[in-house]
Amino acid sequence: MLFTLAAASLIRHRARTVLAVLGVAVSAAMLLDMVMLSSGMRVSFRTLLQSQGFQLRLSPKGTLPFDTEATIREGDSLVAMLEGRPEILAVSPVFGGQLHISTSRGIVASSALGVIPAVEGDYELTEGRQPSAPDEMVANDALLGAAGMRIGDTVHAGSGYDSQLRSLAGARTLRIVGRVRFVYMARAQKGAALPIVTFRAMQGRDSDGRISLAMVRLALGVDAEAERATLERLFPRVTVISIASALKGVDERLIYFTQIAVILGAVSLVVGFLLVTTLVTVSVNERIGEIAVMRAIGVRRWRIVAQIVLESSAMMIVASPLGFVLGLVTARYLNSILANFPGLPERIDFFLLQPSAAWTSLGLLAVSGVLAGVYPSWRSASLPIATTLRQEAVG
Amino acid sequence: MMIVSALCLALAIAAPQETVRRIAIDERLAADAGLHVGDRVLLSAAPGDSGQVAMIGAIVRRSADPAEIARGEYKIRLHLTQLQELLGYGDRVDRFAVATTSDAVIGDAEARINSAAFGFRAHRSRDIAVQTSATFAVVSRFHRAIGVITIVASAIFLLCIMLLKVDERRRDVAALRLMGISAATIVRGVVLEAAGIAVAGSFVGVGIGVITSWLVNLHYQNVYRTPLRFSIVTGDIMLGAVSLSLVLGLVAGWLAARRLVGTAPLALFGR
Repeated sequence: MLFTLAAASLIRHRARTVLAVLGVAVSAAMLLDMVMLSSGMRVSFRTLLQSQGFQLRLSPKGTLPFDTEATIREGDSLVAMLEGRPEILAVSPVFGGQLHISTSRGIVASSALGVIPAVEGDYELTEGRQPSAPDEMVANDALLGAAGMRIGDTVHAGSGYDSQLRSLAGARTLRIVGRVRFVYMARAQKGAALPIVTFRAMQGRDSDGRISLAMVRLALGVDAEAERATLERLFPRVTVISIASALKGVDERLIYFTQIAVILGAVSLVVGFLLVTTLVTVSVNERIGEIAVMRAIGVRRWRIVAQIVLESSAMMIVASPLGFVLGLVTARYLNSILANFPGLPERIDFFLLQPSAAWTSLGLLAVSGVLAGVYPSWRSASLPIATTLRQEAVG
Repeated sequence: MMIVSALCLALAIAAPQETVRRIAIDERLAADAGLHVGDRVLLSAAPGDSGQVAMIGAIVRRSADPAEIARGEYKIRLHLTQLQELLGYGDRVDRFAVATTSDAVIGDAEARINSAAFGFRAHRSRDIAVQTSATFAVVSRFHRAIGVITIVASAIFLLCIMLLKVDERRRDVAALRLMGISAATIVRGVVLEAAGIAVAGSFVGVGIGVITSWLVNLHYQNVYRTPLRFSIVTGDIMLGAVSLSLVLGLVAGWLAARRLVGTAPLALFGR
């Protein structure tokens, strides 16, 4: 009975109901997108940092990894000291720079990492093998494509290029032995990796022992934050970054998106709530006489309230799946826009669908649907029956 | 963090020197490090290097550069030879800025430099500005996309409200029809009323937009410590908002009015 009356009321004003459902669906889509945005990039970034199993990163004092060209002097001895600690399982030193490759198409410049292939955590091998000799390197698709190279090719490369003399600095002949996907590089960024010893030698004597970054894998059960504090105390010339502190840094840099997500999410919710409240209020005002008659024949107040709340909730519930699908489509589109952020790692997603995001959106919508119906229904059900009937009859 | 390109700035109170060169630092660095004009600092290319002492000669306002917005960088300005000496650059420079006599000759100058100079490449300032603003171009596209979604939601909301507003006039419209007023006149009257509501609402919306824009600028200029304006309400934007509301109001009013005059007057009375 309750459901039949609620359905009849919604069907009586089809155009109004359809518009309300559409409006709520768009608001729900926006709400879902904003809930996804507010938490997605954080989760995505954390997943990215955890993906290679390194909990701590050491960079030159006051910098984030590869944020500047600054390097850690005597990095090799730092790595040796780190490896000597029982809390540490493995250390992966990285030396970053530019690699200029001479090709038939001209000089192709690329980002390059000097690594120890056995412990590296910067890329995933998709084809071929890791460099095992000093004159071997691996490259990603973007570089291989730009330079027209394949696995097995030999290239003439340098760490610098003098455009006036058209000559490579620190030139070496290197063989490509693998195709890789770099974890932290931006989409379409050209990248190569080669043994750290080779890359340092190409950079010149000044680079001896230097590293840009050291990634640390901790032993099982070691508290990352405690170890971070210890290492910062032991090595005052480096900044030690844990996943938690890196996330804090990301939060600070991307605070704009978090705030815009909260603001737009709240606005969407309010718009959806207002839309349903307005429609329910008008609908209830139109049925004041009907409600008074129901009360006069003995229908209890709570049943009338329940029927009207059911109507508002039904609009929200019908709109939710539509909004969910619409939200996923728009999130995909919005993510494709933000994926073009300069320097953003390819694997970072701003809009990440998590069960918690979907449930949060649905929960907020359900609550606002119920609230939208409560006030107008309670007000109408509380009107004096006799006076209302008289007013409605006289008109 | 104290990051100035590849230059690491080590700050320390240094011993007085005879010929101390002056540098300019940005206000963010001055505020964070508690530096003032006349203070002496030690500059070095890397932490722990011996470096050289310099005196703060000026504190400058940061430029409204979108490319720097999400980076917590500090900036210092040195004399060219001072920086070259500090970094061991010899007489190398990263780039030259060339001023032309007029805008008309920029293309010609660019072509001549690119064809004559061996190992150099000339770029127009405008092209460089486009490249360095890539971050904001992405944000701008994101905002546009969000704006379209918002407009769709607003349009539906407005349509709903108009439908309700016109629906409230059922009895009035029925009376007018029974008095012999034509359907066309009633539609025109309802559409005019809808247009009036839409325009009045959009003016209130513009007012809210201007206040919100001011608050957004106040907040984010404070968060990112930049004079950059994040939100600008221009005449075109206001005109666009009012026009869009007017069109939506007219369409919604017309649809609702057509529906109303299509119903028999007695049915509108509920008979």
